[in-house]
Amino acid sequence: MSLAQVETVAPEETGGSLGRDAWRRLRRNPVAIVGAILVIMFVALALLAPWLAPYPPDKPVGQVTPTSIPGPSAEHWFGLDDLGRDEFSRVLWGARWSLVIGVVSLLLGLIGGMVLGLLAGAFGGWVDGLVMRLVDIMLSVPGLLFAIGIAAMLGSGLDAVMIAIAVVNVPIFARLLRGQMLAQRQSDYVLAAKAVGVRRRRIVLGHVLPNSLTPVIVQGTLTLAVAIVDAAGLAFLGLSSNDPSIPEWGRMLADTQRYLSSAPLLAVFPGLAIIIAALGFTLLGESLREALDPKYRR
Amino acid sequence: MRRDGMPLRRPAAVVAGLALAISAAACGGGDDAEPGTGGTQAAEGSAFIFASSADPAILDPAFHSDGESSRVTNQIFETLVATEEGGTGVVPGLAESWKVSEDARTYTFKLRQGVKFHDGEPFDAAAVCANFDRWYNFTGLAQADSVSYYWVTVFRGFAKNESDTLGKSLYGGCTAKDDGTVELKLTEPSAVVLSALTLSSFAIASPKALKDYKADQVSGTAESPQFTGTFGTEHPVGTGPFKFGSWTRGDKLEIVRNDEYWGEKAKLSRIIFRPIEKAADRAQALRAGSVHAFDYADPADLESLKSAGVQVLERAPFNMGYLGFSQRTEIMQNQKIRQAIAHAINRDNVVKTKYATGAKVANAFMPDSLWSYTEDFTEYDYSVDKAKQLIAESGVSDPTLEFCYPSGVSRAYMVDPAGNFQLMKADLEAAGFKVTPKTSPWSPDYLNTTQAGDCPLFLLGWNGDFGDPDNFLGTFFQSFSNQWSFRNEEIFKTLGDAEKEPDQAKREALYKQANALIADFVPGVPYAQSPSFSAAAKNVRGWVPSPVLNDKFSTISLN
Repeated sequence: MSLAQVETVAPEETGGSLGRDAWRRLRRNPVAIVGAILVIMFVALALLAPWLAPYPPDKPVGQVTPTSIPGPSAEHWFGLDDLGRDEFSRVLWGARWSLVIGVVSLLLGLIGGMVLGLLAGAFGGWVDGLVMRLVDIMLSVPGLLFAIGIAAMLGSGLDAVMIAIAVVNVPIFARLLRGQMLAQRQSDYVLAAKAVGVRRRRIVLGHVLPNSLTPVIVQGTLTLAVAIVDAAGLAFLGLSSNDPSIPEWGRMLADTQRYLSSAPLLAVFPGLAIIIAALGFTLLGESLREALDPKYRR
Repeated sequence: MRRDGMPLRRPAAVVAGLALAISAAACGGGDDAEPGTGGTQAAEGSAFIFASSADPAILDPAFHSDGESSRVTNQIFETLVATEEGGTGVVPGLAESWKVSEDARTYTFKLRQGVKFHDGEPFDAAAVCANFDRWYNFTGLAQADSVSYYWVTVFRGFAKNESDTLGKSLYGGCTAKDDGTVELKLTEPSAVVLSALTLSSFAIASPKALKDYKADQVSGTAESPQFTGTFGTEHPVGTGPFKFGSWTRGDKLEIVRNDEYWGEKAKLSRIIFRPIEKAADRAQALRAGSVHAFDYADPADLESLKSAGVQVLERAPFNMGYLGFSQRTEIMQNQKIRQAIAHAINRDNVVKTKYATGAKVANAFMPDSLWSYTEDFTEYDYSVDKAKQLIAESGVSDPTLEFCYPSGVSRAYMVDPAGNFQLMKADLEAAGFKVTPKTSPWSPDYLNTTQAGDCPLFLLGWNGDFGDPDNFLGTFFQSFSNQWSFRNEEIFKTLGDAEKEPDQAKREALYKQANALIADFVPGVPYAQSPSFSAAAKNVRGWVPSPVLNDKFSTISLN
């Protein structure tokens, strides 16, 4: 280790806050960089899809037949799909839909989980018991199966899919937040606040909650990855928008099953897109977890 | 009277399911005389193994309306009149000749002599009348639409109707003039009955076996009838080139050659029908050589089957896919809107993109191969401009269409409903319509909602049962139905007259007129007629797929 390096590291190590520390560790972590690049790419493509996509995603732009579906060419980078639409444009727009589904279901799940977790963590006692038993019941059902059940109950449609995925995430966030809050409740600063007569609402919302959020953020990033994969899984099983022309990756994958022997690339592109997006969020989430975990603090 | 758009004679939709895949895979292998792969020589007398997609419902022709059952009973039983090989024309069957009276109310059949049922009973006029009387006198559950579907469809009612939905029976009595002559009387003129009698459901069974094995015992419910007699499960006795062998549900059904057959004897000594649920598994079983043949190959698989050395046989199109309109909502009552939709849809592109070679654009609500078809009617060419202009003229601003399509179904006339929907949606949007998609599983939800007329726009189709325009046009438009929700007395009357008209030339003229009226009225947009495909191992010879699914396996041989 050279002297220069030691000099640059030393001041940060001693004086950094948790946030700055985390940021430093993130920057140093190649896994985090890769994850971040993938995530930024995904979000950018999703936001810019309408301008980047060379063709409309839902209109045929070339003639195909069941036995001849043109593959990649200069004109159509990913080739045409089974209805003669531009596959590249559809994959791009698919990022947009995945982002929408991922973020909305994450936010819904987060809100639901936080409300439950907050109730349990703040009140304790029988409220805690009741909420946590509910959470246990929800967690006892396998996630995707649970989502399928809810989506099937709510009927078809993208909103049903988003709610289903959100509901699956509710108990995860609830349990996480409650655990954090329980830990915080016994901490000195809370006891001190109590001692000087600060009201419970202020303690909970003003101190305990913000200090409990770190793992929730990490979990949120990871959940985005799961949500994208779950949404694709549900779409593959036929639980998706009523409008099949919406370019949703899982749906695209399901629709091209019949052409696996004649046009296998049609399954490869949306499949890769799902993998890359999920990988990005997972890598970023894992490195965030490492960066934010005080145990990793050197 | 009829179940619109319900192609009952097709096998149930192939619904993907893990459990099914597993059970189907288990069915794939065979412990019977294994046929050789592709071109290898199969020993003389070894079984011909056919991969069906499901077990037959029942082997009593009077009680079945599914293609899986009729495929088997077509080999065991015979009808008075048959369909020509590979076509839809009427040819002699158990009757050598027939005469239709001038008022189209009396049909006289001269029966073939020296024919015996498999149980040794003689086939004669008394036996034929016993069958007609049996059908006419069904009681209780046997009258349910789901049980005696084709009798209800063609003859409308029974001796004592037990439901209000049944009409006065068209059947007026059967008389055995002598041993070899049967006189069938109708209560009303009908020119349709002769071709309807080619339906496998009107096959003649041994009256003794029907009685001995309690064929008429039906219990359960209309939705899932239980046949408690053993006629349709263990003792189906007819006059056909094959006799019933054995049947283990879910495993195999075997029929064996009838060596006393009156006509040319079957070339195969036995045929085994083995149910394999998924299309992909049937194709795999054929490639692996564990079965010899199957129906309804996926158009997307044809190339790979051919390159694997499998024969692909085309079943001539006798079907029609259409975009239907329910005129219950105001927007669909607007003729300009209906015309605009007809111009907006690029039917040519839909057929090219989603159908196998051999499929054609349909311009009328019947196949162009059927007699009386001419192109003497208004056609709606693909034109976005005309569609836009018609929308402007319609006075409807911002026209929004609710458009239903089914999931979990694939038919020759509608291979990929969601694909058709997406192409049409894009076309409609290009013309300035807004489209609200709505989807549900084919059976029962989708069929129920479309039949109730709850879908302003819907995708459906029809597989013809017998070679008469009445089977298409009459089925759709002869009277008011919720599905279409319109009253056009001129169309209703023309089709009603055509059904009763005994003179063939006049009937032809009436159907031409009906097609012209229908085209002007635009009750929907017919868009596709498509062949379906059957696959057979290289060594299979002599199989001629019938457009109305009346395949005779007696001509098949293995070499």
